[in-house]
Amino acid sequence: MHILGVYNIKGGVGKTATAVNLAYLAASQGYRTLIWDLDPQAAATFYFRIKPKVKGSKKRLISGKVDLEEVVKATDFENLDMLPADFSYRNMDLQLEDAKKPTKQLLKLLRPLSYAYDYVFLDCPPSISLVSENIFRAAEGLLLPLIPTTLSLRTYEQLLDFLDGHRITGLELMPFFSMVDRRKRMHLDVMQNLQQADKELLETQIPYASDVEKMGIHRMPVQAFAPNCPAARAYRALWADVQKRLG
Amino acid sequence: MSLHAVSYLLPDDFDLDGLKAALAESHVLQENPSSTLTQTFYDSFDWRVWQAGAELLHETGDRPRLCWSGLNESCLPQLCQALEQKPEFAEDLPPGPVTEQLSKVLEMRVLLPKVIVIQTRYNLALLDSEEKTVVRVAWVTSEYHSANRRQTGALDSLLVIMPLRGYESDFEAVIKRLQAFRLSTCEHSLFRSALTHLGIKPGDYSSKLNYRLDPDARSDATAKRIMLGLLDTLEANVTGAKANLDSEFLHDLRVATRRTRSAMSQIKGVFSPQEIEPFKQGFAWIGQITGQTRDLDVYLLQYNHFRTSLPAAVRPDLDPFHDYLKRHHKAAHAKLVKKLNSPHFRKIIKSWRDWLEAPLSEQPKGPNARMPTAQLADRRIGKLYNKILKQGAAIGPNSPAEQLHDLRKQCKKLRYMMEFFQSLYPKPEIRHLVKLLKVLLDNLGEFQDLEVQAHSLEGFGDEMLKEGAPSSAIMAMGILVGKLYEKQTLTRRAFEDLFTHFSSADNERAFRKLFGGA
Repeated sequence: MHILGVYNIKGGVGKTATAVNLAYLAASQGYRTLIWDLDPQAAATFYFRIKPKVKGSKKRLISGKVDLEEVVKATDFENLDMLPADFSYRNMDLQLEDAKKPTKQLLKLLRPLSYAYDYVFLDCPPSISLVSENIFRAAEGLLLPLIPTTLSLRTYEQLLDFLDGHRITGLELMPFFSMVDRRKRMHLDVMQNLQQADKELLETQIPYASDVEKMGIHRMPVQAFAPNCPAARAYRALWADVQKRLG
Repeated sequence: MSLHAVSYLLPDDFDLDGLKAALAESHVLQENPSSTLTQTFYDSFDWRVWQAGAELLHETGDRPRLCWSGLNESCLPQLCQALEQKPEFAEDLPPGPVTEQLSKVLEMRVLLPKVIVIQTRYNLALLDSEEKTVVRVAWVTSEYHSANRRQTGALDSLLVIMPLRGYESDFEAVIKRLQAFRLSTCEHSLFRSALTHLGIKPGDYSSKLNYRLDPDARSDATAKRIMLGLLDTLEANVTGAKANLDSEFLHDLRVATRRTRSAMSQIKGVFSPQEIEPFKQGFAWIGQITGQTRDLDVYLLQYNHFRTSLPAAVRPDLDPFHDYLKRHHKAAHAKLVKKLNSPHFRKIIKSWRDWLEAPLSEQPKGPNARMPTAQLADRRIGKLYNKILKQGAAIGPNSPAEQLHDLRKQCKKLRYMMEFFQSLYPKPEIRHLVKLLKVLLDNLGEFQDLEVQAHSLEGFGDEMLKEGAPSSAIMAMGILVGKLYEKQTLTRRAFEDLFTHFSSADNERAFRKLFGGA
């Protein structure tokens, strides 16, 4: 089972769109795939038309009293299941703090699912917190959508510092440019600079596209309703990059 | 909680509108576009997928995919992966969950189409208030076609109700509502139904020996029965061997030939030598004409193993050897096809069948012809066993390789005899002794194979040099030869312990007890 987090400290960078589309692509290749919407804003859950509600209290989930398997929902797509978001996730940090080994709870919860899924995608809430630390320790790879702006790059550096400071190693970092607008001079400059400096950077760039925004109207991955649009094509290339990186 | 899909058989006059009305009482009903799917069911010639308790289908339509499903669980596939092209060998399939399953069972065998089912599906989705699908319903009509498309017919229409995880209560509500329609559930998958219509029995071919013999029958009758079974196997493999669909057709053909020759010589004294001699020669010829292609098959099958046994730096150097093997295999196979198409081959097979199927003589010339089968089996197996004990005991650390080769030949004869006659003996005992013999045979077989391979590689190397292969390829092959000899030394060392175990007092007692001659 490959666990992949999709993360950025900053919100609104195309994080959920990435998680939803890559999970869809993995599932359509035949891999049994699970997407866990950990963001209380529940955008991924909304895209799959699932009600943002987890049976039983969130606290019991973290304490291991509820099996993750019991709260899994099938999406409308074959091989793709979801653990929906719940509004109570906003308090997850507090619940984690109460647990034993608070930084490894997520991994512990996911372990029993390893026989049932080939890929697990974690759609992570923005900000850096105990929840994100849990994700870093559970995941094999971390997808990092970056908008090519100075501010966005600053948050990337903050993350690298955090990982370094918390001795989180063995995590495959996969930054890539997201919401790219090639008409903007700054986007082009920033991308050129980072491409030279960062060897981890994935080759594929996801363009800024209104088709991605339309996911909110269609309530499904862009792959499913506009598979030939540039954004859908870009996600397919990105998924190929990720699979190559994971070997 | 996980639920399986339920399939119901639909009568011809089923009231689909009534069903829709009933479902619309609890859910929003969405009619999705109907779809036509062509499902080709695949298995190897010897039914390895079916033997593993599964079915394999390749579905073409909007989203071509390869699906694997366990039998008797539901009428729907459980594992699927996208696949455009027709599936053939497991090693050529893109990675995925179905490929993983297939790699475990197929080995070197190619997938062949067994039956084609064309389905038309009318798809309905039951939606909740978010317009999320919570239950899927499909009304499926289908027709089957034989793999060559010559036979065709209709299969029962089905109503399939598919649960979605996390929405079990909706599924259960639908099932409950359907009770009013008094439908019976479908027991067999479409694949099984289609095979039944075509008169195909899954597992109808196996190269394994599995005779049910009568211990009191005349030995000449039993010998003919065994030989007829072997002839069926041989003939079943001719077409596949000629087309070189996979290497196993020729292999099974050769094994059947070898077993036939063994049966002719080891079921002794049941026919007159004059009668059997021409057939002995005929089968010796079949063994001979098939040898070269099989040898090259073996090297091609082992090529990847050979390559990875080399240090990584020299692996690419070996590639000219692969080209050489491919080229020579092609030529050898073309020659083989000519021989298999020749009147001589056809004559051997036909006259052999005619002779085997002819009624038994009332005055048989073979001295053992009328002996009860059980008595002859005991006697022959006992004799072979004694011979092996003697030959094996004479082998010391410095004995020449020929002595081991001779011992191997005897052991093979014994194994075939034990397998021909296994139904005459209690199952656990005979199985145990065959297994014991197999362990020894594996060692002897490996010893000889390694020697033959090392010799052949040297020969191939000479020829490749003449054909202008680069010296780096010959050097890589040299490393390989060295490795083969090293391994052969280890195999030789293991022999002594294995034979000591095989001939231990306990095991000897077990042999004597089963086959008499204490």
